[in-house]
Amino acid sequence: MSDSGAAPAPADPAPVRELPTEAYVRMVVVLRVGLAAAVAVLLGAILAYALQNPGASLGSILAANPILRYLGVSELAAGLAAGSVPAYLTLGVLLLIATPLLRVLSGMYYFSRGGERTLTAITLTVFVLLLLGLLVIGPLVR
Amino acid sequence: MGMSVDLWTLLLLLAVTGVAAGLVGSLTGLGGAVVVIPILVGGFDTSFAFAAGTGMVTILATSSTTGAAYVRDRLTDLRIGMFLEIATVPGALLGATFTIFLVHADLENALLIALGGVLLTIIPLTLTRRANELPEPRSPDARSRRLGLRGHYHDAALGRDVSYEAADTTPALGVMFGAGIVSGMFGIGAGVFKVLALDRFLNLPMKIATATSNFMIGVTAAAGAGVMLAAGYVNPVLAAPVAIGTAAGAYLGSQILPGLRNRTVRYLFVPVVLALAIEVILRGFGLA
Repeated sequence: MSDSGAAPAPADPAPVRELPTEAYVRMVVVLRVGLAAAVAVLLGAILAYALQNPGASLGSILAANPILRYLGVSELAAGLAAGSVPAYLTLGVLLLIATPLLRVLSGMYYFSRGGERTLTAITLTVFVLLLLGLLVIGPLVR
Repeated sequence: MGMSVDLWTLLLLLAVTGVAAGLVGSLTGLGGAVVVIPILVGGFDTSFAFAAGTGMVTILATSSTTGAAYVRDRLTDLRIGMFLEIATVPGALLGATFTIFLVHADLENALLIALGGVLLTIIPLTLTRRANELPEPRSPDARSRRLGLRGHYHDAALGRDVSYEAADTTPALGVMFGAGIVSGMFGIGAGVFKVLALDRFLNLPMKIATATSNFMIGVTAAAGAGVMLAAGYVNPVLAAPVAIGTAAGAYLGSQILPGLRNRTVRYLFVPVVLALAIEVILRGFGLA
């Protein structure tokens, strides 16, 4: 096998620290708060959208994606400040996407605190890749 | 346009679709998008790209809802999950990008046919999951030992503590990369493929494999969803009611019906997925 990293294991592995219970507790909090916030924003925004656009149909919704105006950070911030319903719909979707990102950040923190450099580097790479998709690849292929 | 209903009815129908997806997702360990995407394409005349974007949002809702319970019970192996995300996330970015290129090239029908093929592949993999909880012991590889890819949990059903250690990490990383591509391309969780890698290559107990797969599904979907959102292929008016319904359905599934989470549910799931697969394949060939 060319990959020495996957060769048969030595007889006595080095001791490995377990992630503290606090890491699991924090991760549960991230998941619950992230999901609750996203659902609350999406629910409020979709009800407001329905009240503002009673005549909207499936055809009109598919023809004009309201999110397109709020894909930039400054446009989204301005839309949120102005109370724009599509901006809040965009925020709800972003909160759903952000929840796993926060999970990764949380994991990186605990691996880093435990001195586990390889896993810290792996989680940092995953986090950078997630941001890359949202901020670079998506806009490039739009 | 196939469906002409008023807005409130439309939102209700989308939310009901989400509830069904959330229930299926939490009961079978799949993301639920395998139900949402064919229904959006077949029932709501949504283009494949927007259906896939909505599917990714569905997965995020399912994964966050059911994932919290798994993490709380320490059935999710965070170390193994985060290690494997180094393969699934690049795969998802590649898959989502490829899908956008195919959509720009007017090849959505090819994507539908391929999605049908993936759904048909999921069926036997879902049915042939290992029946017994614990695998036969196998030696871990050096990478697994070096990174400490091992753990233990208390199995209430077996009435004892169970220890495990990941076995063959290299093939698992390869399968995870492929699962990431499938997830990014089609907007589905590809949990079946992830469980396959965690079970057959890493040799993990089934509870750990299922919970860790659920954890990874969310992060993989976030990668694909980020690309699809920034590319303008997530329509929040479609996605919001589906996501809310999915979260409610997944919560119901995990809280009220845990007794159904067994092989019977998987058998009930087969005709649904089979019908949806046939529907998208026929659509892909312009026959529906």
